[in-house]
This record gives sequence, C-alpha cells and structure tokens, in this order.
Amino acid sequence: MTEPGPLVLLVEDEDATRTALDRHLTARGYRVDAASDVRSALARWDARRPDVIMLDLGLPDRDGTDLIRHVRREAETPILVLSARDAERTKVQALELGADDYVTKPFGTAELLARLRALLRRAAGPGADAVGRLAVGALVLDGSRHMVTVGGQPVDLTPREFEVLRVLLTHQGRLVTRGRLLRAVWGEAYQGEDHYVHVYVSQLRRKLSAADPDGSLRDLIVTEPGVGYRVRSP
Amino acid sequence: MLIAAGAAVAVASLAVAVLEGPVGVPNASSLYLVAVAIIALRFGIPGAILTAVASVVVYDFLFVNPLHTLTVSDPGEWLTLVLLLFVAVIVGQLAALQRARAESALERERESRALFDITRALAVGESTAAALPAICAALAREAAMNQVWVALGPDDASERVAARGSEETPWPPRSVAVLHRPAEGGRAAWTIVRPPAARGGGVGAAGGAVRHFRVRIEETGRPLGSIWATRSPSTPEPAEPTTRLLQVAADLIAQALAHERLTEERRRAEVARQSDALKTALLESVSHDLRTPLATIRALAGTLIDPEVPVDAADARASAAAIDAEADRLNRLVGNLLDLSRIEGGALRVADEAIDLEDAVVRLVTPLEGAVQSGLVEVDIPDETVVRADPILLEQVLVNLLDNARRHGGRDVPVRVTATASPGDRVRITVDDAGPGVPDAELPHLFDKFYRSRTRPGGSGTGIGLAVVRGFVEAMGGTALARRGELGGLAVEITLPAAVLPLPDLPPVDASR
Repeated sequence: MTEPGPLVLLVEDEDATRTALDRHLTARGYRVDAASDVRSALARWDARRPDVIMLDLGLPDRDGTDLIRHVRREAETPILVLSARDAERTKVQALELGADDYVTKPFGTAELLARLRALLRRAAGPGADAVGRLAVGALVLDGSRHMVTVGGQPVDLTPREFEVLRVLLTHQGRLVTRGRLLRAVWGEAYQGEDHYVHVYVSQLRRKLSAADPDGSLRDLIVTEPGVGYRVRSP
Repeated sequence: MLIAAGAAVAVASLAVAVLEGPVGVPNASSLYLVAVAIIALRFGIPGAILTAVASVVVYDFLFVNPLHTLTVSDPGEWLTLVLLLFVAVIVGQLAALQRARAESALERERESRALFDITRALAVGESTAAALPAICAALAREAAMNQVWVALGPDDASERVAARGSEETPWPPRSVAVLHRPAEGGRAAWTIVRPPAARGGGVGAAGGAVRHFRVRIEETGRPLGSIWATRSPSTPEPAEPTTRLLQVAADLIAQALAHERLTEERRRAEVARQSDALKTALLESVSHDLRTPLATIRALAGTLIDPEVPVDAADARASAAAIDAEADRLNRLVGNLLDLSRIEGGALRVADEAIDLEDAVVRLVTPLEGAVQSGLVEVDIPDETVVRADPILLEQVLVNLLDNARRHGGRDVPVRVTATASPGDRVRITVDDAGPGVPDAELPHLFDKFYRSRTRPGGSGTGIGLAVVRGFVEAMGGTALARRGELGGLAVEITLPAAVLPLPDLPPVDASR
C-alpha cells in the first residue's frame, strides 16, 4: 500500500487546462485540490494546508499575487507560478513576493512535473546539514571552512563567487531572482545594479565546470534570462 | 537733464571767464560748443537746443557789453551771438544724431545677437520645449527684461508655464501690456488690458510690483501660447527694436512648434500606414503558416476522438507527441509574431545588461547535445566575451539564428557559431551554415518582413525570424547583415556593443556572514 501523495492546490481559471492538469497529477499519484479563483483558493488554503501550490497569475477575481502575499504571511509552502509569455514583470514580481519558481504557458507537462518534484524535494529536507555543508553531486560547499570542493579537489573561488554559490545552493531547486541574489550577496545598497550579476554567475559556472572532470556540473546553474538562476536538482 | 545742461553751461562760462579775463583771449565763446556737444551726446536734440539757447543767453549776460544785461549794444556782438546760437544748434544736432546712430547700431547688435541665440537654441535643441529656457534667457538679456517666460496652451485658461529664464514668474499681474499686431500688417502696438484670470492662485503681492508684457505666439491666427516678460514699472514701454525682437521671437517659436506638430503628424500617419501594411501582409503570408500546424493537430485529435477508429496505446502516444510538437511550433510562430508587432509598434522595452556570450549560446545549444557531439553545431566563443544586451531579446535572436541555420541550411548540415571582437568596442557574432546558401541578389532582403527566399530548402519559412533578429539587434544598438559564409552556405553576422571589463568594483563580501 502506497502512502497518499503530496497535496497540490491547483489554482487555474481555464477549465480545460485545470481539468487536464488535475487528471495528469492524479494519475501521477498527487492529490489535487482545484480552485478557479483567488477567493475559493484562499478557502481551500484555510481548510486544508496543501504541500505545494500551483498558481496561475491571471485570475478572474483578484490578482494571483494576492494569494502569494497571503500564503507567505502564514507559511513557507512552495509556490509554482504558471505565467503567460511576455509577462516578465509580473513573473519577477511574483518571485520577489515569495513564489519559488515558474513555468511559462504554454508549458509541456514533463517540464511542469520536473519543477514540481524539485520544489517538493527542496521543501522536504533542510538544504544544509548541521555544520553548514551543502552538496550537489560531486560538489560540496563547506560553509564553516569557507571551502568548495569538486570530487574532493578544492576549487579556488573569490569570496563573492563563494557567496553567490552558497545562496544558490541554499535555494536549490528554486528560482533565485537576480534582485534577491544581489541583495543576499552585495547587500541592499546595490539594489538595481544587477546588470553585472550575470557575468559573475558565468565566471562561477566556468570555474566549476573546469574543476569537474565528468562534465556533470556544466549546467548545474541554469540561467532564466531576465529573471534569475536556479540550481538544477541532482 | 536741466541740471546737467546748467552745469555744462556754468563750467563753460567759468572757462570763458578765465580765458577772456586773465589769459586775454578776445572771444572764447566757442567753448560753449563743447558744452552743447557733450549734452547732445548724452541727452539728444532737446538737450542740445536747450543748452545752445542757455549758452547764448548766459554769454550775452556775462561777457557781452553792456555786461550783466541781456541787451546788446554792438551789432558785431549780435552777429557773434547769432552765429554762436546757429553753430551751437547745428553741433548739437550732429552730436545727437551721432548718438542716435550709435544707439540704434547697439540695438541692432542686441537684436541680432538675441535672434542668433534664439535660432541657435531652436536648431540644437532636441525639441522646441527644450530650446525655450535658452530663448527666455536670451530675451531677458537682450530685451532688458527682469523676467521672461513662455507659457503654452491654446487659450488663456489652459496656458501653462513651459519654460522660464529665471526662478520667479511674478503673478498675477496688475495690468498687462499686450502686443497688438494688426492682421493686415502695419505697426504693432502695446495695449494695456486687465489681467487674464488664468493660472489660478490668489492675488500675490509679487505680481503688482512690476509691469507685465505679453506677446502671443500664434500660428496663422491659432493661439499656441505667449511670451511673458516683466520690467520694473519705472522703465518706459519697450522701444521699437525690443518690440520687434519679442515679436520675431514669438514667430520663431510658433514656427518651430508648427513644424514639430507637422512632423509628429507625419510620423503618426507613417506608423499607421506601416501598421496597415503590416496587417495586410500578415494576413496574406502568415495565415498559411498558422493553419498548417493547426490542420495537423485537428487531424490527429480527430482520429483520437473518433470511436470508430481503433487506436492502440502506441498510436495514441505517437499522435499526442505529434500534437505536442505542432503546438510547440505554433507557439514559437505566435511568439515571433508578437515580437515583430512589438518591434513595429515601438513598444519594445530593452534592458541593458552585461551578458557572457558563451554562456548564452551554450545554454541554447545544450538541448541539441547530440548535434554538438557529432560536430554539427560548433561553438567557438573566446572566454569572457561579454556583450551589452537584453537577455531575453538576445536569447530570441540566437534561437532564431540557430533555427534558421538548421532549418534552411538543411538537416544534418554543420552550423558554426563564432564570436570575435570587432572595432569600436563591438562583438561580432556569426552563425554560419554549410547549406546551399542564398543567391547574392537576395542577401539584402533576408531581413525584410515576410521575405522568403525561393531557393532555401527546408520548406518555406515565415519570413519573420530574421526580421525579428534585425529588429531586436537594432533595438539593442547593434547591426545585422547576411553574407556568403565560410562554410559555403549562408552566414548571418550580428554585432552588439561589448561590455567593458573589468567589472566595476563592488565591495568584497564580508566573509564572516
């Protein structure tokens, strides 16, 4: 007997899409609570805390970001945003408000499920162990000794690159917006000066893939152009 | 003037007394001419005549026998006095004329300097509005006004200050001298009117302390606004050159505004025309491309729906995969169409970021891992090639270029992406394919909307992908060009501004955090 799967709160106003996703998720072993507007989604949220929320931002009654605000005041439940193309602004706004990741409509179900799994895995366990060690595959970041190793070999990173990697690994499986990365690594004073973040991340990626003999780290850090970065889950 | 004339005559008389008395000069009366000339230069013809008459009377009184009376005994002395008066008046008039000439030359110089400043401001300013502050400053200086400002609006009530030469605009005025210009030509004249009730605000003390002048800015009788100016109440009304200067300034501003409006109207008309043409071409050319995948999707779905048609699991999956692929194709097409309309509509928002080019390209090529390994897509980008671009637009440009090369170069044809530094702080990115290429005559048209080469294999394109490439690249301050490639096929070359390295120095991270 398998234990009941994770509970997904699916908020989507398009009937056909909602029905198809509901059916698909159920077939994959998830339990689904479906809502078609913010009001009923809030009622569902209060009645039965879900494990993860899938949220379409364009809803008929209120802006989907209202739901994100509400949920974030009460819990850290992972939120996956379903966003339309050409809505970078709302997308980034949703992420800054506390959404964890997004997929762009129209999306493939394979991609959607992969994101969902990553979010649930991330929510299931703490990122770092007791001594501040973060690990993905052959990569180990030791927070207390300020050291990064790949396959046991130390990698020479600047303090800034180390900090960028630490922030990304801490949010493994989630999307970290450029703004959030900038604030975490450089501080509030550098708000808005995110034009160069990309280049720092590229340098970091280059160092990691150079240190990695089997090439598995080359696409460890995935760029979402104009939005931010995510560390691929192993 | 009276005091000055009196003083001049007194000084001259003293000098005459000294010369005719102790020195013994027989007749020094011509010294009065000096006084007359000086007063004439300073005060013009009325002063000159006054001084001349006073000189004659005083000379007669003091130095002509019988002394200390106004009577003249010697007829010779009469002649002297009459001649003195005659010469004094002539000298006075000549001197006054000289002064008037000098003054009008000065006025003309001020006027042409002001006009030069105004036309120059209008010529170099990005817009008329941008030129107005300089115009106000020039007018205040050359028309000797305390403050000059320009208010724009079709009538008194909606007139708003558009530019001012100095900080304050004293308001409201107690009364206003408005320059009245007869429509049929002729002399413009200042007319005093009650202040307009415009611009709100209670009665401020500031406005009453100065005199207000107003020259309307009109384009063929249609009011566009006004030039406002103030002077202290003691100064006279502007003289004719100043009036003319204000009038010409108003006309120049009106002309510039009218020109700007016409240009804007023409631009709008052009945009509307192009957008119409775009819509027509879109309907003709794209409906086919939109319908093809839709037809496939409906055919496949129809088979799955039909209860009469036996479908096994493998068939169903294959159909679904084909539907998925066609939908994806449609999505990309719609995306490109939206991009194109954003370019056409001028609604493109372009971010300016430093982007590591190798990173951006490798990210796109990775899904084609097989292709890279079998040497079909070769990427040759030096480390730390960093361009200044919008990340989303750049990605779309690269996607379209790779798509174009693979689709039209022919399947299994090698594609190469290279980047090199190019003069003027630019990076040149080339996407080369080893396909059959495009005839030279067609090369310049490849970036045109809806242009499809008749000779490219791989099915007819939509003629949108490369148009989007050029639109996006140009929006990012770059260029796009097609040429014969080194691999024998087509090469599309784009340049983008290089980002300056090393990066600006952000402070090091606090290691203790």
